[in-house]
Amino acid sequence: MNASTQACDPDGHVDVTPNWTCPFCSLLCDGFRVETEQSGLRLVGSDCSKAVQGLADFGPATASAMPSVDGRPVTADMALDAAVGRLAACRMPLFGGLATDVAGMRQLYRLANATGAILDHARGDALMHALRALQDRGQVFSTLAEIRNRADLVVCIGTDAVGNFPEFFRRCAPVDDAGFARRTVFVGVDAPAGLAGEVAQIAPEGDLFDAVAMLAALVDGRRVPGADTALADLAQALRAARYCVVVWEPGRLPAQGALIAEALLRIVMSLNRSTRAGAFILGGADGLQTANAVTTWLSGLPLRTRVGPLGLDHDPLQYATARLLAGNDVDLLLWVASFGTKLPPPSTALPRIVLGHPRLASACAGEGTVFFPVATPGINSAGHLFRADGVVTLPLRILRDDGLPTVADIAKALEARLALRRLATEGQP
Amino acid sequence: MSTIRLKGGRVYDPANGVDGDVRDIGMRDGRIVALHPQEEVDHEYDVSGCVVMAGGIDLHTHIGGGKVNLARMMLPEDHRANRQRDPLLELASNGCCTPGTLETGYRYAQMGYTAAFEPAMLAANARHAHMEMGDTPILDHGAYVMLGNEELFLEMLARGEDFERIRDYVGWSIDASKAMGVKVVNPGGISAFKFNQRKLDVDENHVHWQVTPRDVVHTLARALTELGVPHPLHIHASNLGVAGNIESTLATIDALDGLPGHLTHIQFHSYGKEGPKKFSSATRQLIEKVKAAPNVSIDVGQIIFGQTVTASGDTMRQFANADLGSPRKYVGGDIECDAGCGVVPFRYREQSYVNALQWAIGLEIFLLMDDPWRVVLTTDHPNGGPFTSYPHLIRLLMDKSFRDEQLARLHPDVAASVDLREIGRELSLYDIAIMTRAAPARLLGLADRGQLGVGAAADIAVYREDADRQAMFATPEYVFKDGRLVARQGRLEAVPVGGTHFLETEFDPGIEKTIEKYAQRHLSVSYRNAKIGKDELCSCANGGALLACKVHGRRGGK
Repeated sequence: MNASTQACDPDGHVDVTPNWTCPFCSLLCDGFRVETEQSGLRLVGSDCSKAVQGLADFGPATASAMPSVDGRPVTADMALDAAVGRLAACRMPLFGGLATDVAGMRQLYRLANATGAILDHARGDALMHALRALQDRGQVFSTLAEIRNRADLVVCIGTDAVGNFPEFFRRCAPVDDAGFARRTVFVGVDAPAGLAGEVAQIAPEGDLFDAVAMLAALVDGRRVPGADTALADLAQALRAARYCVVVWEPGRLPAQGALIAEALLRIVMSLNRSTRAGAFILGGADGLQTANAVTTWLSGLPLRTRVGPLGLDHDPLQYATARLLAGNDVDLLLWVASFGTKLPPPSTALPRIVLGHPRLASACAGEGTVFFPVATPGINSAGHLFRADGVVTLPLRILRDDGLPTVADIAKALEARLALRRLATEGQP
Repeated sequence: MSTIRLKGGRVYDPANGVDGDVRDIGMRDGRIVALHPQEEVDHEYDVSGCVVMAGGIDLHTHIGGGKVNLARMMLPEDHRANRQRDPLLELASNGCCTPGTLETGYRYAQMGYTAAFEPAMLAANARHAHMEMGDTPILDHGAYVMLGNEELFLEMLARGEDFERIRDYVGWSIDASKAMGVKVVNPGGISAFKFNQRKLDVDENHVHWQVTPRDVVHTLARALTELGVPHPLHIHASNLGVAGNIESTLATIDALDGLPGHLTHIQFHSYGKEGPKKFSSATRQLIEKVKAAPNVSIDVGQIIFGQTVTASGDTMRQFANADLGSPRKYVGGDIECDAGCGVVPFRYREQSYVNALQWAIGLEIFLLMDDPWRVVLTTDHPNGGPFTSYPHLIRLLMDKSFRDEQLARLHPDVAASVDLREIGRELSLYDIAIMTRAAPARLLGLADRGQLGVGAAADIAVYREDADRQAMFATPEYVFKDGRLVARQGRLEAVPVGGTHFLETEFDPGIEKTIEKYAQRHLSVSYRNAKIGKDELCSCANGGALLACKVHGRRGGK
């Protein structure tokens, strides 16, 4: 157990973990505390709805959580054997969800090699908006501390930011005597209440595709007949800003959102020719940023890659979870959801192996499913996660030990048993 | 562990003055030992007809961290090709310019390299860098933390903070990020670009902090000297790639004022502005200066023709070159009041006047410098070219006729005019052993690596003699890591996890109060999380050995 952490005593006395890193969104706030009570975990120092909801998934200690096969509670040994039997029999498994930490992904990659799996994350569609733009044109980014110290203009495109990232504006708010004033503009959405500094919102006609295309043209200084005056004013403000940051949220974009990402990149690149600008992508939650980073550094290719017997194959469209399941293109689903109950495995007639939060047990009780309750990094195991910006990696500390295995533990055990089984049946691992 | 004898090889071990003598090398428990010729061993390898050297050490190669991973993500086309792999030992991993970490480890080891150092670790990204290096199998590794562009350092310099406090801060930064040294990139320039400054000469003021690159370089070099850090300040000088930048390079050497400094990828900083294209070689000026400055070492950053990607912390220069990208993509970022990153894919072309001249300048530097102990062989992987081109580069340096063949393919104006035509020198195996093993080990303070003396780590590469030096260095007969056979004739034999080299510095912990206060006011992460503990390093680095090096300061003395 981590030195900074203490469990509550038998009287239900409260203990406080001061150095906690919150795993429930990709901002990874490390400035709040958590009180460990016998009835559960309580956030101190913030009213962040994501953290409060995340912690609510942890009531009294869940030490009694057991693996199950087809809904029947079994020992870990039996569950591992059942899962390995299915893995050994499948030809084209999909490893989905992938809501885990660095250690979990490292082991899952090994297991993917042993089984020829396709890797995709529960939020793969959102990732692809950003990734496909990166692959086609690039990316210009800024990080929280840069925004905090420099950004006199923040423009949120199609997102109020706080809906899914409640602490965003607090995390990047300038200090009182920063020497500049912050203006925040919301495009195509209502501004949230209670923001410091000057706040404006504009509602351009048409959809977001039209709005960003027009804004890009205006920032480039092109003549746009009948241009929306609010967008023209915004383009003017962008050019006049000392350091502006364009904030967008891939998870809120419609299909073909990469086109919006490309237009935003064009705007930021154009601005950087005369002033300074960057973008901040509000994404990467549920371990998405982490799963993609680890897969990329190990293999050389990002998510939606198949680790097949003939090598790697990356396809941002073909290897989407929904498409693979709908088309019966895979024959097994291994689903990983260690951060909470919000990402239950998709229902499918395929055999499923689920490494999930203990409270996902009921969603994994059906025929054909092997369920392993696993620890949540930052709650009942230590770990590491990548922040939304993809730069900062933070350590997650254990709040209480519920005796649960980690995703890495299960993946490692599966790999080892699979190798033994193959040795026994085929004469080689 | 078993005892091994390598029998009858020609040994090149410059650290111990051994120049091609035929002798046996013994290994036991991962170390080199003296074995009596009659002593029984578990394995004896007949290596007659082979050349024996210490394992290669790459002291400047971008193998791990944020910008490398962004380069991978942005270039799926570089990672599509699959090669045959050993299903029992290798995991799938692809790529040429920026291979996956697994492929990086496999390929380096297959070439006879046993250690590699990431030169540009951002403090804000240090955990990530250690994770990638930990997932780079077989190789030992370490990293230099990037300083000199963090707003805290510049602020301290600007307000005339006592030098001792700055030195403590540097010591703390090395300790907190678990670094093996310090690199400065475009001193002050990455920060200046955040304030929209587009150029920063060595004696020009940072537009906001009003300090100069000269101040930054000198202060950092002095801090490292006083902290007792073995590796000299690793310097990516001002004005990378700019015609006429030799002036900045010479001024940067002057800024050291006799203190140790390592000027990295010096090829990119050795340009004049003579001639019809206002772009010329300044090799002779550079060499004259470096010869006269024994405090200075260099690595070359040779360019190799073909596709690669440039990944650098130097956002000021990378953004300026964004339009030259091929394919046309750009990644850039301003990072955490700490540093930045810029990624530009690039294709070096023989028929480009500028690229051809860059190629010639790099080779001229290798061949004109008289002291191989101060020149390290690098391509600044992947910026000048991928590390897998080292055998090709070695052949260029060892084989004048091969070099002339290549020269004849270049842009005609370059082929007809460069000094390189007249240079007949061919480097010896002894020179190569210095530039690829002994010198980098010495420059990093790795006393027991890069050499084959008794007691040294048994990191050994055995190459079969071949007049085609490219073929010889591409596929060693045997490679041993810590006494274990890891590759044989280009095939992997074992895939151990490498160790992490890092320094343990001495500093006044009182500096943490300053850092904590700054972090609270300006940064986005708790000061406590800015520090990587040893246990955490172990988990980041995938459980590899922690190769700590305690350094003792020489406080007060210059």
